[in-house]
Order: sequence, then C-alpha cells, then structure tokens
Amino acid sequence: MFSISDSPLEQENLVSRVSDESAGALVIFEGRVRNHNLGRTVSALSYTSHPKLAEPEGLALVAETKEKFPDVTAIAASHRIGKLAIGEVAVIIAVTSPHRPAAFAACDYLAQQLKHRLPVWKEEHFADGEDAWT
Amino acid sequence: MAIEAPIEVLLLLGGKSRRMGQDKAQLEFRGKTLLENTIEAVEACQLPITLSIAHDDQRDYSHPTLRDAEGGQGPLAALAQAFTEKPKTHWLVLACDLPLLDSSTLSHLLSEADPSVIVTSYASRHDGRPEPLCSLYSPAAAEPLRNALAEDRRCLRHFIESLTPQLLPLPSPLALDNANRPEHLTELLLLDTDGIVEKEVNITYYGKLSGEAPASPETLKTKAATLAGLYEEVRLRHSLSLDLDTVKAVLADEFVAWTTPLPNQSEVSFLPPFAGG
Repeated sequence: MFSISDSPLEQENLVSRVSDESAGALVIFEGRVRNHNLGRTVSALSYTSHPKLAEPEGLALVAETKEKFPDVTAIAASHRIGKLAIGEVAVIIAVTSPHRPAAFAACDYLAQQLKHRLPVWKEEHFADGEDAWT
Repeated sequence: MAIEAPIEVLLLLGGKSRRMGQDKAQLEFRGKTLLENTIEAVEACQLPITLSIAHDDQRDYSHPTLRDAEGGQGPLAALAQAFTEKPKTHWLVLACDLPLLDSSTLSHLLSEADPSVIVTSYASRHDGRPEPLCSLYSPAAAEPLRNALAEDRRCLRHFIESLTPQLLPLPSPLALDNANRPEHLTELLLLDTDGIVEKEVNITYYGKLSGEAPASPETLKTKAATLAGLYEEVRLRHSLSLDLDTVKAVLADEFVAWTTPLPNQSEVSFLPPFAGG
C-alpha cells in the first residue's frame, strides 16, 4: 500500500495494514521535518507531488522493495504533501517480517528510493525568509 | 550588387561541446557527419574553407586550420585571428552543428549581401535577431572586433547587433537550427520531414521549474516537433536553470522519451529531479 496525503499522516493506520500474526517484527520509519539543512535554519518545508504519477510510482517502489526482500510480510507507506512545520511527519514506512533483519533492510531501502524516485518536490523555507527548491 | 573581394569561410570547430557530450561535428545526420554536410554545402558554393580548431585538437584535417589560443577565446577571437591572417577577405563565419544547412542558404546570403554594410546575417526564425553562426563579415569588421575583444565583450550576437547588420529572412527556415544535443537531431529530422506545424500545448512545471516559469500551467503555441524541442524552447524563453538531461518529460500522465513526437492539444509536464522524504 502507498498513498500521498495532504493531511497529517497517521501511524496506526499504516501499522494496521501491515500487521500479521506470522510477523514477529514491525519496523516503522518516520521522516520528520528538521530545523536545519546544510548549516541553515529551516522554519518549514513545502512538498508538492505530481497529482497523477506520484501514487503509482510509490506503489511500484513498494512492489520493487517486496520483490527485493522476499522475507518481508507486508509494506505500507505514505508521503505527505503541503506545508509542514518543524517536527511534522513527511513520510511513514511500516514493514513487517517474521524476523527483524528483513524488515529493517526493506524499510531502509524504500526510504532511500522514495527520496530519488518518487515524483515529489521539496521547497525549504528558511528562517531568514528565503525559500529554495531542493 | 554582389561582393567582389575574396570571400572565404571560417568554419568553427573549436567550441567545447559540453551539452552534446561528444564532438558535435562528428555526429551523424542522414548518413553524413555534420562536418561533412557543412563542408559539402560550402564547397558547392566554391568557397575556400579554413577550420577554426581548439588549441589542443590533434586531428588531421583536409583543410587549412587556425588554432585557438590556449584557454579558448570563443568565436570572436577566432574571427580576429582570421582577419589577422587575411585582412582583405570577407569572412563567412559558420558553425558546424547545423544539420539542415544547405548550399542555397549560403549562396542566398552571398548574393543578397549589401557590399556597403559591415555584417550580413539571417534573422533567426525563433526571435528575429541575427543568427550569429552564419554571418558574413566585411574587412571593416576587423577594427570594431579588436575593440570588442579589448573590452572583453565576447558575445557574438551583441557584437553583430552593435554593427547594425543587414538582416535577411531565411529562405529555408530550418537551415540554421542547431543541434545542441542528440535529441535535437530527432527534432530536426521530424520538422524537416513533417513540416513546421503550430500546436497548442498545456505545460505544467513542477518543483524548481514551477518557480522559474512565469505560469504553471502554461498554455503555449509551439512549433516544436518533439518533447525535446518543446523543452528547449521553454528553457530558452524562460531562462530555466535545468538542462534536459536532469529533467523528465511527461505526456498525458506518462513518462516519455525526449524524442517522442509532440501531439497537438497535449498535456505536458516537466519534472525536475525528485526530492521526497
């Protein structure tokens, strides 16, 4: 499961989608907005996505991750769009597997892929008033 | 009245082909390299050719060469060298990346050139300004050229415009379209085969590009034949900071190759590098 959401992400919702009696491991990753980047103070981030392509691409990345880590039981992930304050959650990935190594590895892999392959863009709003696309 | 003094061609090969990733002159278009095609067009007009080459170019050429000074000083410096060598010659400066250049475009320029002007150029089919890389310079250009170089003014187009050029309309509109990248060869092939057709497209820009384009979505009339031609057009028009190789093209909500033909009334998106997470 993968979704793009313009409202705050709910972890419980994702966890319920991957829970399984055969899975002894649940790994959750939250990507949060931090207050600094490359030495500058960040006050907020704005995410935009391609309205038609982002969800199918995200789903494809989830499927690719499952294929790459066949011991994984289930994966659910969501990416937030809109303007996010410091500390807000931009991305959540939940992975279950019978034993923990597969869940950790798959979660890390998917987090990395979402950064570069999901049609989402990030604009940083700095404390000094400047904005910059990354 | 035609020009009587000697006319020679200075063919520019020295430019660094950063965006093509390879020597543009050696790219093949319809079975010939761009260099072969240009030389053929010039020789059909019975003009002698001098090749302006980079300072470190070690290749053997079948024509006389003028070597750039170290550090590559650009086309104006190459032309200054040519005038130093032959001050009484009218120099026709030509680029080597014009796949559809033909001899009739060159002969038309020579026969229409007014002997009383310093420089004769074609008007660009894109913006009406002088096409810098197919222009004829009389010996009177040598002095303003030295002045421009002394003041470190190196833009060829600005130099031509400062001389109040004679501007001719292009007899075949695609003859001076250059190919900056391999994708543009497909663009030119389609334009030449199918003709120049005006289309209306709707472009949505994302990420960094959305901040650089004046509007997103933008409705545009274009004569581009492919996605690559359209991106090049808006890149120049809006001074977009990203080159085609870092951008992805989307047509009707599907990722497509840059060489995909552009349909009329299409919905296009240009996507800069993604930055999720």
